[in-house]
Amino acid sequence: MSVPLLEVEGVGRTFRTGGQLRPRRVRAVGGVSLTLDGDRPEILAVIGESGSGKSTLARMILGLLPPAEGTIRFAGAPVAARRGRQERLAFMRRVQPIFQNPFEAFNPLKRVDRYLFATARWLAGAGPDEARSRAERALRQVGLSLAEVGGRFPHELSGGQLQRVAIARALIPGPALLVADEPVSMVDASLRMSIVNLFRTLRDELRVSILYITHDLATAYYISDRIMVMQKGRVVESGPARAVLDEPRHPYTRQLKDAVLQPDPAAAETLEAALAAPPEEEAPVPG
Amino acid sequence: MAAASVAAAQPAPRPGPVLEVRGLRAYYRARHFGVVREVRAVDEVDLAVLPGQIYGLAGESSSGKSTLVKTIAGAVQPPLEIVGGSIRLSFRGGAVETSRAGAGELRALRWKHLSYIMQGSMSVLNPVRRIERTFVDFAARHIGLPPAEFRRLVEAHLQRLRLEPAVLDAYPHQLSGGMRQRVAIALATLCRPELIIADEPTTALDVVVQKRVLALIRAVQRELGSSLLFVTHDLAVHANLCDRLGIMYAGRLVEEGPTAELFRAPRHPYTRHLIASLPRIGDTVPREGLEGAPPNLADPPPGCRFHPRCPLATEVCRQRVPPLAPAGPGRRVACFAALPESLA
Amino acid sequence: MLVVLRDLLRHRPEFALGAVLVGIVLAVAAMSLLAPHPPELTYVVPPDLPPSAAHPMGTTSRGQDTFWQLTFAIRNTILFGLTVALLSRILSLIIGLLSGYLGGAVDRVLMSINDTFVVVPLFPILVLFYFVMRDSMSWAALALVMACLGWAYDARLIRSITMSLRTREFTESAVFSGMTTRQIVLQEHLPYVLPIVFSTTLNNMNWSIGLEVTLSVLGFTSINTPTIGVMIYWANQHTALVAGIWWWIFFPVALVVMLFVGLFLLAVSMNEFIDPRSRLARMRGGS
Repeated sequence: MSVPLLEVEGVGRTFRTGGQLRPRRVRAVGGVSLTLDGDRPEILAVIGESGSGKSTLARMILGLLPPAEGTIRFAGAPVAARRGRQERLAFMRRVQPIFQNPFEAFNPLKRVDRYLFATARWLAGAGPDEARSRAERALRQVGLSLAEVGGRFPHELSGGQLQRVAIARALIPGPALLVADEPVSMVDASLRMSIVNLFRTLRDELRVSILYITHDLATAYYISDRIMVMQKGRVVESGPARAVLDEPRHPYTRQLKDAVLQPDPAAAETLEAALAAPPEEEAPVPG
Repeated sequence: MAAASVAAAQPAPRPGPVLEVRGLRAYYRARHFGVVREVRAVDEVDLAVLPGQIYGLAGESSSGKSTLVKTIAGAVQPPLEIVGGSIRLSFRGGAVETSRAGAGELRALRWKHLSYIMQGSMSVLNPVRRIERTFVDFAARHIGLPPAEFRRLVEAHLQRLRLEPAVLDAYPHQLSGGMRQRVAIALATLCRPELIIADEPTTALDVVVQKRVLALIRAVQRELGSSLLFVTHDLAVHANLCDRLGIMYAGRLVEEGPTAELFRAPRHPYTRHLIASLPRIGDTVPREGLEGAPPNLADPPPGCRFHPRCPLATEVCRQRVPPLAPAGPGRRVACFAALPESLA
Repeated sequence: MLVVLRDLLRHRPEFALGAVLVGIVLAVAAMSLLAPHPPELTYVVPPDLPPSAAHPMGTTSRGQDTFWQLTFAIRNTILFGLTVALLSRILSLIIGLLSGYLGGAVDRVLMSINDTFVVVPLFPILVLFYFVMRDSMSWAALALVMACLGWAYDARLIRSITMSLRTREFTESAVFSGMTTRQIVLQEHLPYVLPIVFSTTLNNMNWSIGLEVTLSVLGFTSINTPTIGVMIYWANQHTALVAGIWWWIFFPVALVVMLFVGLFLLAVSMNEFIDPRSRLARMRGGS
């Protein structure tokens, strides 16, 4: 077996909040470990609600935040130790992010093809002419073209189109890993599935592994190979996606699964059943 | 009309719809340095909400549903203007054309006959006042009870939403998001208004909290017999909550009918595609998304606004606007392909 | 660009008025090129003549035509203001951008220097400067000193904008596109920073001109080169008001007030126009 693509071991990070006089320490992530296989591309879904630490974990894997504890290694080399522009560029050629809000991922005052050409130049070593053809190829892979999006500003495109442009940009250097942080939660429902299906194509045809961070169990079930459930910074359950979601073992996973509303009135259990379960927090938090 | 579910004791229904919207057109008109821009956010919408009914309004971004709800709630400010049509709110004691009402009339209506629950509870809860003060500010004058009795009334009401009386003495930031939203619901339902408007009230909440809050909303609604106009893009919520569902696309209502029937047999191509594309846990059927994107409402396509993305579009769809026509008992569809009779 | 100016002129009365006022002042300054006598010469025309057809603004007690003196005076004053404004913009941009983007120790050091300059009392320093330099005092030196005193306030503004931009997701997209720090700061962030820079430029001009006039009137500058302040200085020396030579004071003051008001109106009306948020709103309108 070759070197794992991604190794996260016992990673933790704490944030300080509150003023100078009474600082509070919030453990955003604690004791998290995961491994992505180096031979076979796969989609690993990280499930969690807000405050679960999934976004912090993503940022640490991308090298935007150093972990306070534990190590993160990509293709055998530690992520946090990259120094110098050349090393960082080499890392970015292999690991790329997809952000939640496609309208924020691009500068509203600039045209979107800018980022495509810059990525082609800096991360794919393309000259000015070749950059255009690289961009075109990447756009075609996501079902778009330069004719459609060339020269356009972000507000001229829909959320779904913009997110696909973001994915195209991430694909230009031929990465091995995409870290997608809630990539479809801000995209309209009718456009969502084409992006989710695209992820599957990326894994199968382009051999890209995807870390799919989401709170949406339905899409996670639909495309993931494995799944990891996080609650308050810790991993509570992990394993093959279908197995975990068909028969959840941890009470939190069960709670999440029960809370999902199916878009099907015929199968609608009465909402009142939700009233029977005791809630987690009832008392006001002392200020 | 009402979905088969828990039946609570309800006051005798009043005749006629609580809310009647006819031919409503609301546009955003802005002038920037000489460039006039007209966004036709709501373009000819008719709908009616009956007493005690939960009416769901579904649609994606730029469908116009949020604008529609703003105009119904009377929150119309430049650059938003009501360009045509009428909105009529009927309640015990009379009826008001809110599209033409003055600020004073609207203020008398608010919280007593018409209330709303917004996406962010913090837009309603004053962060520097205790919860009890907010209740007093909003509702005391409608109820007209001495302070001690008013507080008892509010505590009893909070219990319906599974909130402890201690909540009244807290500040908003001391409560969790779910609790704040429940306070907002309590505020909106205290005076037993005839119509409650909810605009994405649970969208920002965690999945687990969301289900509880929705259950509470429905329980309170059933108990008080108010009508509820519930707006969200999340079709799963509509499927589980609403009696009747209206689908909006690009400023127009394209399909409407009882929720169960709409899901079982949608007729408009957009509705069909939307419902078919939703993933469900437990099935592995591949789902397809829709091509294209919703149109720019400043420059919408002629004829049916869905025709550029519609697999069934024909020449007439490009030229004429399909009317929202009856398509069975309690159902309406705006599509020439789904309803060839409407061509006449 | 021209369309923009035309729209501004048509729909914004403040801009039109400001443009007219500044235009008049500039025209007067331009006429200095046609002056019959160099400005240093005195007693070239009969002194103390009231305004007439031959001398539309009268003559001074030093035997100069008020009008032609004024053209030189306003020209020098404008040049001085422009120089100070431009030099201090460059300083505040560099310091603000560096501080905001790099953060950390660099930020702390630069901001302590910045705050020192903010609290330093300007007027006494400038007077001290005069007394130290005395005869070797030149306008260039004064401009340089004032530029060095005038950047601090705006550097903080630019820094705070840059800091907020750094955390926005499109900055991270730019980083993962391989762009260098310099490219990101100049191409992605500058369009947000420039509106502030532009409006502060015009205000800075008003400030520096006001300060120059004050210093010159009190005689703390080189009084041989004519500027508005110097003209008023000489008028005071010859007790013009008491002697009834009102035109010597009135016309310079009127013209400099016209300049102030014009620049202010321009700054106010263009500010909203260049602001990125209103630019975005207009872009959505035009598409």
